[in-house]
Amino acid sequence: MIEFSSVEYRHPNGVLALRNIDLKIRKGEVLAIVGENGAGKTTLIKHTNGLLKPSKGKVTAFDMDTNDESVANLSRKIGIIFQNPDHQIFSESVENEVKFALKNFGFKEEAISERLEWALNFFDLERYRTTSPMLLSGGEKKRLCIASVLAWDPDVVVMDEPTVGQDFIQKERLTKIIQMLVSKGKTVVIVAHDIEFIWPLQPRVIVMCGGKIIADNKAGKIFQERELLDKARIVKPQLQELSEKIHGESSGAFSNIYDAKQWIISKLKSD
Amino acid sequence: MECEYITTLHIERGMVPEERKSDNGLIISFEDRTYSYLNCKEPAIQNINLTISPGEIILIAGPSGCGKSTLLRSINGLIPHMYPGNSSGKVSIDGLSVDKTSITEIAKKVGFVFQNPENQIFMFSVERDVAFGLENLGLRHEKIREQVDWAIQLLNIEKLVNRAPHELSDGQKQKVALAGVLAMKPRILILDEPTSLLDPFTALELVEIIKKINQNLGVTILIVEHRLDLLINAATRIICMSKGKILFDGEPRKVLTEKKLPRIGIGIPTITRLHRILNEEKPVFGKIPLSADELATNLKLILK
Amino acid sequence: MQWIAQGFIFRHTTSPFHQLDPRVKLLVSIELFTLSLLVDSLPEVIIALSGIFAIASISKILRRISRTLTYTLFFAIIIFSINILVGYPLMDAFVIAVRFLAIVGSTSIFFLTTPPDELELVMKWFRLPRDIVFAFVTAVRFVPVLMMDALQIMDAQKSRGLELQKGNIFSRFRRFIPILIPLIVDAVLRSGDLAEAMEARAYGAVKKPTNLYQLEIGVWGKVATILSIILIVPLAYLFLFLM
Repeated sequence: MIEFSSVEYRHPNGVLALRNIDLKIRKGEVLAIVGENGAGKTTLIKHTNGLLKPSKGKVTAFDMDTNDESVANLSRKIGIIFQNPDHQIFSESVENEVKFALKNFGFKEEAISERLEWALNFFDLERYRTTSPMLLSGGEKKRLCIASVLAWDPDVVVMDEPTVGQDFIQKERLTKIIQMLVSKGKTVVIVAHDIEFIWPLQPRVIVMCGGKIIADNKAGKIFQERELLDKARIVKPQLQELSEKIHGESSGAFSNIYDAKQWIISKLKSD
Repeated sequence: MECEYITTLHIERGMVPEERKSDNGLIISFEDRTYSYLNCKEPAIQNINLTISPGEIILIAGPSGCGKSTLLRSINGLIPHMYPGNSSGKVSIDGLSVDKTSITEIAKKVGFVFQNPENQIFMFSVERDVAFGLENLGLRHEKIREQVDWAIQLLNIEKLVNRAPHELSDGQKQKVALAGVLAMKPRILILDEPTSLLDPFTALELVEIIKKINQNLGVTILIVEHRLDLLINAATRIICMSKGKILFDGEPRKVLTEKKLPRIGIGIPTITRLHRILNEEKPVFGKIPLSADELATNLKLILK
Repeated sequence: MQWIAQGFIFRHTTSPFHQLDPRVKLLVSIELFTLSLLVDSLPEVIIALSGIFAIASISKILRRISRTLTYTLFFAIIIFSINILVGYPLMDAFVIAVRFLAIVGSTSIFFLTTPPDELELVMKWFRLPRDIVFAFVTAVRFVPVLMMDALQIMDAQKSRGLELQKGNIFSRFRRFIPILIPLIVDAVLRSGDLAEAMEARAYGAVKKPTNLYQLEIGVWGKVATILSIILIVPLAYLFLFLM
């Protein structure tokens, strides 16, 4: 669906940010991109909707070459939710903020109203309909940003560090949103360094380091390799660590605390 | 006015906070403090009663909007001096009332590191920024040099000395900010979500530095953080807040057993949650583990 | 536009000129600037420009200055054209246009070789009020930050379908509102954070704050000052009265 072929990207100041990237993002999958700050994660996702064009190689999305398409055209299908809500909120009302993209993409009036209603309701923002978005709290602004993107119903949703600065309740909400998207058949790409957050989703994980993809596998497998994690400066999820300490290295890990509990309790009963 | 500094401080762990001595450390106390911002009907913090003894590392947790930031700013004087509002009760640092002391006076004893690394670096060069607070205090040139060099060495940022801040990574910026605060040799260090913009690896590095500062220099640490797993091993005490009030206050292991925590919006570490549901099924799993390692060790003993 | 701005942004380089006391650098820059103002004939403008390029090459900033001046050429051409239209002879118009380049170049030398921190020390030496100096330095420090913010904002809005290149002049202005507003709000929020941090680091504790760095002219500074005066003053006299 989205494919990177031998992509290389060099910043205008000469720094090589992406090296030899080959990646296929498949329809309906949940993909997590992990790696330390500066590894190239954000640079990578900016290539999916054409914000950045590769210096070498090619990126195709939905059979369109990103080099030939405008960002607006590509964004219609690939929605990126950026990290900082203050870097996009500008309207006089929450309503207009949500409508902004819908108008830009040329939705008809009835469609705009319909999508607006859905977004305000689903994200619990109805009571702020006419409020200025600048007056919302941090968490609410974040919700508004997500709502503005999901309002136009892109096929692919890319989230850039969605959990930064979020408390527990906000993170739970986020997990529910991701699960909703998955159930609707959307492709979800999450750039995250909060491993604990993505672990229960058991996504496909690609590890980036120094502009390269150094690993690409299911979450359960990726976090087993100590050397890899050290090289990419990634912290191991706690459940993985637990499994290793109990079973030894290179073992499958518990994907969530309920699985872990079941295994432990059954082990206890059998003893 | 230069602050005296003791490089060794005996901290007897295991003692109940009230019993600790104030040997050249500063005691912070809140006496029935309530504060609301101007034009706000709801108080941001209500009836806070709190004593913080020298040498503690205190983690303050709570959902967004619970009053943590207000609490922190009530200690270094930003509240009420920069944010005048309606307050009652008292906040004092070693007897000195925060309401009656200027921010700059308190800044000599209390250092504050903010959440966004970028917005606390003023100067174009790192070295100059570390010196900023000392220049403001009017210290002699040689003393400034000495304390700046000391802080830079402490945080291992010698290589960054001549760089411009916008060239640094967020982790490096946060270290520079911390150096600038430490150069002023505060007895109390407050950090408001210092790691929220950092990746976990860099965050853990920062936490290690903070631990060392506490252990080697005896600086009292107050830190607000959402990701409890990063700090649970370092903190000597956790304070949980919700809707402006302190709900729980005590040793990490004790506080983590409270069932209400997830409901009020505090995310407990995965391992702790696992232990909780295990214990609910069969209460044989011992005391609350603070790391995967600990739980694994316990489990191995129980399952064998 | 960007390259013209680059002519005034300091980059870390070392050269004999860079290491001089900023007051000396300022003096040299002012001397060249004054010289450029006094130019009114071709030989004079050539002398002025050579002086500027000479200092630029000592400071290893020749390439950057040349680039900036190449882009400033656009404005020089406008000046040339206006002068021609108004009725000045060709040579005079040419000299006036090139003089503009010399003026820009001489100012650029100072800013390219003096980091904002040194600028601050010079401003303090001139006894400018502390608050103004601090505001200036902090503003300069945040220019690159706000530039990056603007880029991030553009990315976010482009991803929401905003097309900046479409439409006529008037609609293009309107399209910049979703960029400008978040940028302004962002700058305001940053200053709020900065205010807190300033207070927390005792800004204003003492009426006369001290300094980590102290200005010292040093031997080379004195040499450079004397040399530049010996060279430039007679030339200025020459330009003004004789040629």
